[in-house]
Amino acid sequence: MSDPTNAAAPETAAPDMAGLTKRQLKRMKRFDNPWNNPKLIWGITLLMGIIALGIFGRIFWDTDLVFTGAVLPSQAPVGFENLRGQVGLASSPLGTDVAGKDLLALLIVGAPNSLYVGVLASLIGMSLGIFLGFTAGYTGGRVDDVIRVGSDVMITIPPLLILVVVQASFGDITLTMMSLLIAAFVWQSPTRLIRAQVLSMRESGYVQMARLSGASDRHIMFREMLPNLVPYLFGSFIANVTTSIVTAVGLEVLGLGPQRVPTLGRVIYDAIDSAALTRDMWWWWGFPTILLMVMFIGLLLINLGLDEVSNPRLRRL
Amino acid sequence: MSVLDIKNIHIDFPTSKGVVHAVTDVTLSVEKGRRIGFIGESGSGKTTTALAAMRMLANPGFVASGEVHLNSLEGDTNVLHLDEEGMRRVRLRKISYIPQGAMNSLNPVMRVEAQIWDAVVAHEGAVEDLQARSDTALEGVGLDPKVVGRLYPHELSGGMKQRVCIAIGTCLTPDLIIADEPTSALDVITQRHVMQTLREMQAKIGAGLILIGHDMGLMAQSVDDIAVLKKGVLVEFGPVRQIIENPEHPYTKELISSVPLVGGESFLHAQAAPPKGEKLDVPLLELDGVSKVYGSVTALHPMSFALDGEEPKIISIVGQSGSGKSTMGSLMLGFNDPTAGAVRFKGDDINRMTAGERLEFRKQVQAVFQDPYACFNPFYRVNHALKFPFENFGMQGDVEVEMHKACEAVGLDPSLVLGRYPHQLSGGQRQRLIVARALMLSPKLLIADEPVSMVDASLRATILANIHDLKDKHGISIIYITHDLATAYHVSDYVMVLYHGHVVEAGPPKEVIGDPQHAYTRLLIDSIPWPDLDRDWGDAGDARAALDVLAEIGGTPETVYRGDIPGFTLGQG
Repeated sequence: MSDPTNAAAPETAAPDMAGLTKRQLKRMKRFDNPWNNPKLIWGITLLMGIIALGIFGRIFWDTDLVFTGAVLPSQAPVGFENLRGQVGLASSPLGTDVAGKDLLALLIVGAPNSLYVGVLASLIGMSLGIFLGFTAGYTGGRVDDVIRVGSDVMITIPPLLILVVVQASFGDITLTMMSLLIAAFVWQSPTRLIRAQVLSMRESGYVQMARLSGASDRHIMFREMLPNLVPYLFGSFIANVTTSIVTAVGLEVLGLGPQRVPTLGRVIYDAIDSAALTRDMWWWWGFPTILLMVMFIGLLLINLGLDEVSNPRLRRL
Repeated sequence: MSVLDIKNIHIDFPTSKGVVHAVTDVTLSVEKGRRIGFIGESGSGKTTTALAAMRMLANPGFVASGEVHLNSLEGDTNVLHLDEEGMRRVRLRKISYIPQGAMNSLNPVMRVEAQIWDAVVAHEGAVEDLQARSDTALEGVGLDPKVVGRLYPHELSGGMKQRVCIAIGTCLTPDLIIADEPTSALDVITQRHVMQTLREMQAKIGAGLILIGHDMGLMAQSVDDIAVLKKGVLVEFGPVRQIIENPEHPYTKELISSVPLVGGESFLHAQAAPPKGEKLDVPLLELDGVSKVYGSVTALHPMSFALDGEEPKIISIVGQSGSGKSTMGSLMLGFNDPTAGAVRFKGDDINRMTAGERLEFRKQVQAVFQDPYACFNPFYRVNHALKFPFENFGMQGDVEVEMHKACEAVGLDPSLVLGRYPHQLSGGQRQRLIVARALMLSPKLLIADEPVSMVDASLRATILANIHDLKDKHGISIIYITHDLATAYHVSDYVMVLYHGHVVEAGPPKEVIGDPQHAYTRLLIDSIPWPDLDRDWGDAGDARAALDVLAEIGGTPETVYRGDIPGFTLGQG
């Protein structure tokens, strides 16, 4: 739409700011800066909360309490009673598990670990996707056929099935190793997305203009096309983080994945394994589940916010 | 008796920057059987006003105040008071709408006749003689119901689809037909046929017609009254003859004078001897038996010509969509490889160049494309498009200074356009920036592919003058690709008329366009709607006869040579 200060584009009648309520004006301001989006801000705040838990927890809490027998076993959170009628102590504010591990310490170490697996897997997957998508879309021909068929085939393979087999045969693995394995299953959709975008952008006026300006292929790909893909890449990245965390937690809850490093999924696995549900130890599985929910809601909000940033039509007054 | 009365209507669009008053205080009546043209540039509110009568405003627009009376309604005639169901009954039955892009308006998975039945059933319930209804409707627009009725939309040509839309729009004999630029996607020959059909049908059912458009010529040939809108305000309204011959508002005058006429006054200022280009032993650009085949379609039959760069010239390539003219453009830019033959620039085959030679070729051959909206990367400020090639080609001089100079040369205020994002500029400004870009690079050859077809009418003459200046003041040879014969007549030194990839007529514009000899060229010129009331467009019969002539010309027409100009040779035979 036209801009009142812009004498250069007088094609439509100039907008009128009179007769608007303060609330409307405030909402309009949000349009000027699309990044000033409430969903995006809330989402980022939630995720920062998880990261802050990891950082401040390490400063103010003793992470050695994650080891077996560090504290009294089977204690309820502060102010609650366990089945034996023992009232929880302030020394373990979120309670402890049957092996005498402190739950707060487990969460402080575990939650950032889960996030780390998701972000790393998604980063690797996205990098692969950007590389393959651009190669396929821009080169075309045989290369395109191979990449396209390859990613289509990979999409049809259920990742959990393969991962269960691979992890079971590996036994204990590190967090990074697990991220790499998950990354092998999250590059397909960014590849397809970027390929499609590149195909349509390749014929666009500004790419033709750049070719006319004697631009190299590299310039066209990275300076002309890539910046316009940023909103898609962000959105796709966040969606992939979600998928990766879900996959990682799924493996961990099955008892696979890293055996010695605390993760949220591992804590839930231990809780199920030790029949926490029947022993009424709700804090054991409850707190990690809440943290996972916060993580997913944060990621979802970021994704919705990014959608509105890149697609102004979704924004409402 | 008036069919529709619009009284003091105001339409607002709340946007991020405030409320845009798209239409301000428009009052208008449409009489029964009368045709009214809404003319104005993009964003002038012409479509918005008409759609308000159907209550089909695009979100988030709304009618802020005013009344719209549809006089055939019983009781309360104000359309704005109807409920959703009442409004549904009005649409198509009382007011029908013929959309701009007929290609996207028909359901691709339904046969044509079924789409007409849909319309009838929606308003009259289950009637028995559906087949008869659709047959009458299709016959009315000159389509054979036995054949066309059984077809799917993708099996029809653009003109036929638009006529099917007219058949749907008139099958319930509405009181008012709103036609929103119904022919803007069609070529002139088809345009004439579709407009004549629409007029015929409208006269037959005695409905009022609102024709929305931006082409003064088309208006002059098709309507009784003209309403001129500018920035949402009705600036002038009156009978077509009064508006065209005696316009009062300066904006109307501008609109009328912006339509170039063949043989009319030129919009260009004559220049003293243009600067000469460099003298070469080989032609600047040479096409040697170049042809292009896409699958089973031959876009361009073997063509040869040689353009000498010493004396800058403008060569026009004229033709309808699908004539192969844009294929020629991309072949000359080296974006496409020819199927046979070779394109040579200064003697070198442009498709067999090393990277270094190619950069030099790019520097010397530039282009202006059709769509000024797509030519700028939305991510960057517009400076990027001007700065990047300048630096990439390693040109001498200060970029900022050169950019300012180039902007001023094309009549733009650098402080207003530079440093802005593309979406902040109008189409005309962007296209002028592209011309400025070409000027900065001072190429030897410029290929202008429909440079003004997507720019508002009042700016076309200015932009063409800018392009013409490139030749006159800067000695750049230009290949001007267009479908518009009138502008080709004025700017060019030599014209080639293309039809199905063949040159059908070629020569100086005064000969080819001023006095056409080939049947196809004559047909093209006859089909142009002139903003001249005494130059009649003919009736529907003429338009049909024209299509027969076209069919007779067939796929392999003869070339008519109408004389040569020095420095340009078209390969004969």
